[in-house]
Amino acid sequence: MEKKKNIQKKSISYAKWGYIFIAPFFIIYAIFTLYPQLLTVYNSFFEYYRDGLTVIGPRFVGFENYKTLFNLNSAGYVPIFKFLGNTIWLWVIGALPQFVIAMMLALFFTSTRLNIKGQQFFKTVIYMPNLIMASAFSMLFFALFSQVGPINQLLISSGMASQPINFLGMQVTVQSLIGLMNFLMWFGNTTILLMAGIQGIDESLFESARLDGSTSTQVFFNITMPLLMPIFIYVFITSMIGGIQMFDVPQVLTNGYGIPDNTSTTMIMYLNNFLGISKNYGMAGAVSVLLFIITAILSSFVFKSINSNNK
Amino acid sequence: MAEVQLKNIKKIYPIGDTGKKQRRFLKKAKEENPETNKVNLQITDEGVVAVQEFNLDIKDKEFIVLVGPSGCGKSTTLRMVAGLEEISSGELYIDGVLMNSVEPKDRDIAMVFQSYALYPHMSVYDNMAYSLKIKKVPKDEIDRKVREAAEILDITQYLDRKPKALSGGQRQRVAIGRAIVRNPKVLLMDEPLSNLDAKLRNQMRAEIIKLRKRINTTFIYVTHDQTEAMTLGDRIVVMKDGFIQQIGTPQQVYDHPSNLFVSGFIGTPQMNYFDAKLEIENGKYVVKVGDYAVTLADEKQERLKAKDVKAQDVTLGVRPDHIVLSDKGIKGTVDVSELMGSSCHLHMSVNGKDVIAIVPTEGKEVDYVNKDVMISFNGNVCHLFSKEDQLNLEY
Amino acid sequence: MKDINKSAQIKLTISRIVVYAILIFLSFLCLFFFYLMFINSTRSHAQLQGGFTLIPSNNFFTNLKNAWNDSDINIPVGMKNSFVVALLSGLLTTYFSALTAYGTYVYNFKLKKFAHLFILAIMMIPSQVSAVGFIQLAFKYGLTNKLWVLIVPSIAAPAVYFYMRQYLEATLPLEMVEAARIDGANEFKIFNQVVLPIMKPAIAVQMIFSFVGSWNNYFMPSLLLNKPNVKTVPVMIATLRSADYSKFDMGKVYMLMLMAILPVMVIYVILSKSIIKGVTSGSVKG
Repeated sequence: MEKKKNIQKKSISYAKWGYIFIAPFFIIYAIFTLYPQLLTVYNSFFEYYRDGLTVIGPRFVGFENYKTLFNLNSAGYVPIFKFLGNTIWLWVIGALPQFVIAMMLALFFTSTRLNIKGQQFFKTVIYMPNLIMASAFSMLFFALFSQVGPINQLLISSGMASQPINFLGMQVTVQSLIGLMNFLMWFGNTTILLMAGIQGIDESLFESARLDGSTSTQVFFNITMPLLMPIFIYVFITSMIGGIQMFDVPQVLTNGYGIPDNTSTTMIMYLNNFLGISKNYGMAGAVSVLLFIITAILSSFVFKSINSNNK
Repeated sequence: MAEVQLKNIKKIYPIGDTGKKQRRFLKKAKEENPETNKVNLQITDEGVVAVQEFNLDIKDKEFIVLVGPSGCGKSTTLRMVAGLEEISSGELYIDGVLMNSVEPKDRDIAMVFQSYALYPHMSVYDNMAYSLKIKKVPKDEIDRKVREAAEILDITQYLDRKPKALSGGQRQRVAIGRAIVRNPKVLLMDEPLSNLDAKLRNQMRAEIIKLRKRINTTFIYVTHDQTEAMTLGDRIVVMKDGFIQQIGTPQQVYDHPSNLFVSGFIGTPQMNYFDAKLEIENGKYVVKVGDYAVTLADEKQERLKAKDVKAQDVTLGVRPDHIVLSDKGIKGTVDVSELMGSSCHLHMSVNGKDVIAIVPTEGKEVDYVNKDVMISFNGNVCHLFSKEDQLNLEY
Repeated sequence: MKDINKSAQIKLTISRIVVYAILIFLSFLCLFFFYLMFINSTRSHAQLQGGFTLIPSNNFFTNLKNAWNDSDINIPVGMKNSFVVALLSGLLTTYFSALTAYGTYVYNFKLKKFAHLFILAIMMIPSQVSAVGFIQLAFKYGLTNKLWVLIVPSIAAPAVYFYMRQYLEATLPLEMVEAARIDGANEFKIFNQVVLPIMKPAIAVQMIFSFVGSWNNYFMPSLLLNKPNVKTVPVMIATLRSADYSKFDMGKVYMLMLMAILPVMVIYVILSKSIIKGVTSGSVKG
């Protein structure tokens, strides 16, 4: 009985356990993400970099870094639009075929009429590049497509080229290679996601449409696409968010220089350059804030779709 | 092995509580009652009142059944006894010790859940042994207790299986086994049979009656099924909209329902109701349905007199098995006749109302359908309910 | 009638042939470059310069030995570092994401909804946007070249949280938790002994993805690690690119790349089925 009295003081509300269980997440988030995030924003208003062994700043400069970023005071900087444009373009040339092919494959795989055999094998193969270390993949392409690499050897020995093609020196080939790698890395993933989306649609809708006399094109545009739209948008936007973060592939392929002439320098590569030896926290901060705004806008769409689905 | 006292227990789910429980509570209530949606829970400034003015003394080793429609607060009450819900106000005593803020594990109770809630990754043995292991009971004692319980429930041969490999009825037994293995002071059961099919349910009901004789403990059993309540309970507590409607033995509740709701909820087929007039003729209470008049039995006369009940319009309730066919009485037309074997359920319309009568067949084949019949009943089976507050006028 | 049937059959056969051709071509494209890499890793530098081939040679073990013992790129150390980071990150991220998801799923507390929505809101924000502050702090407090700095942040992984939360909603009835409470388990015991085993499949899937993700991660490690003994594999591979290329034994270079991706490939070959299943389950359901 005395023991029981002691227990009396405790409440049987379990609310505190909720806080205890989520605490590690939020503590770690605050230390390793939120605080650095705020610091990043703070930095963006300061002149703060290293010149050789001397540290310049931090000195408050207001929006000066942003002005530099947009080249409003032309201090020898390439305007950010170029890198933003590069990033979007490099994403587009990978994503466009990626979505077209993935949609096609998803339709093939889900078609009961075609009844594709060996689906597991094909899915396994096309998803594989997604798990490959992007930097190693890029390095591999660099080695394969270099002037003395096997691809050039193949082209010359088969007579398709008379002399080695400088794949890594021309804008069109560098960008194409980046696009190809991004395509290879992501189309399998997109196929699987879209396929799951199509499989989530009530099969009888397709059947009744077919019995109503729709052709497969009509079924696709009148039934599949409208019903798949939420998932398609989700996959599309997450792909865009991924595209904005494009780094490993062009970085390694061009050794960080975005050759030729910065035509393959992405936003994150640009950011990365500021974090190198110069440790230009001010400018890097401004680039980060811009990136943050873009991803925040994009992810608000994802957030909305998740939330409406979770009701 | 324990007395349980509930003193003026009240449960309020605060409005705006992000709690899943409140939403789950209301949603469940609405889902299960789609046609009536009769959840008239009181909503105050503080929130939704799920249970209030709950007073009950449960005797040692008593089998108490809480029964009522969905959303009546019976499960909430049980969960408050278990310590899974906080008690908003009032006091809960187990063996005279105040338990309001004691954690479930220190209340010496066990509970059988509707979904069984067996741990899917543990074998039947480990499921049953888990609570003892936590208490650090010696291994051989755990083994003895688990096997003993398994023996009682006839699940010894399944001890090594995972719950997934068991049928619904077997899982049910394991869930009970897990509860009785620790000899709890109070055994709580939350709709334990509602996930079983009808046949199995009848069988398990009998098993629970047997079980009850073998283990000496206090039972609190929640169900929405009045048959379970009638067959299992020493006393049953009928609840509706968070209030206790009546507490009594099954016989008391059946014979003397305290109000219109209880009279309709307990007993199947449901009680029949007539619009009637209660009149006093020559100092005697007489109930009249149209021209048909019945003088009430003596004990009813006394009870009404003692309460000084005035002549008034009433709702008259008569159970189907108390209605007899006779030469004179109230006229009705039979719509459907269901032969049950020794008796026959006649569904008829009387003054535009549906009435069911159970009449013995006595080996004769009579076709009642579409025929007019006269029904009557005698003065000691009439239940009179006030038109105003629906209470039984006798009590 | 017969003709309609026949022409339909021919049409179907043709479309099947086209579809299989497309599938085989794409599969070829996915495998071709990796096949070349493998072939080239079996050839000596001289052979590689001699010309193109699709037939393996006999220099595999020589290349392996050379790569393993390379003095500039210490791949065994790199693999060990990558393994430690990937494994520990995987363990932390799955355990704590499950814990957090359980916290917001089972308990009722004032900030519950806020916490949940907050995590969803930050889910898509890439870690790169806070990198500047992170790097600055790392340099300020001398945390560069420390592997734990790459490991510990994985405790807060919003996407893994989201996955775990969805899994819990689908598989864990609250009655199970209540049953455990009545059985006498305290809240940590309930999580560790009852909930975690139920979540095993989800944990396994996320463990794989997390392992692969951090094995392949290049951005942060490249900024934080510059001492040879702490570098992870991707950082080492990238240094291959920036080094003076013409001096390299190309057989060894291909071998290094093979070693970089091999662990993930092995995992994938063994677990491809559940990995592919896992791809879809993390995303929004229509």
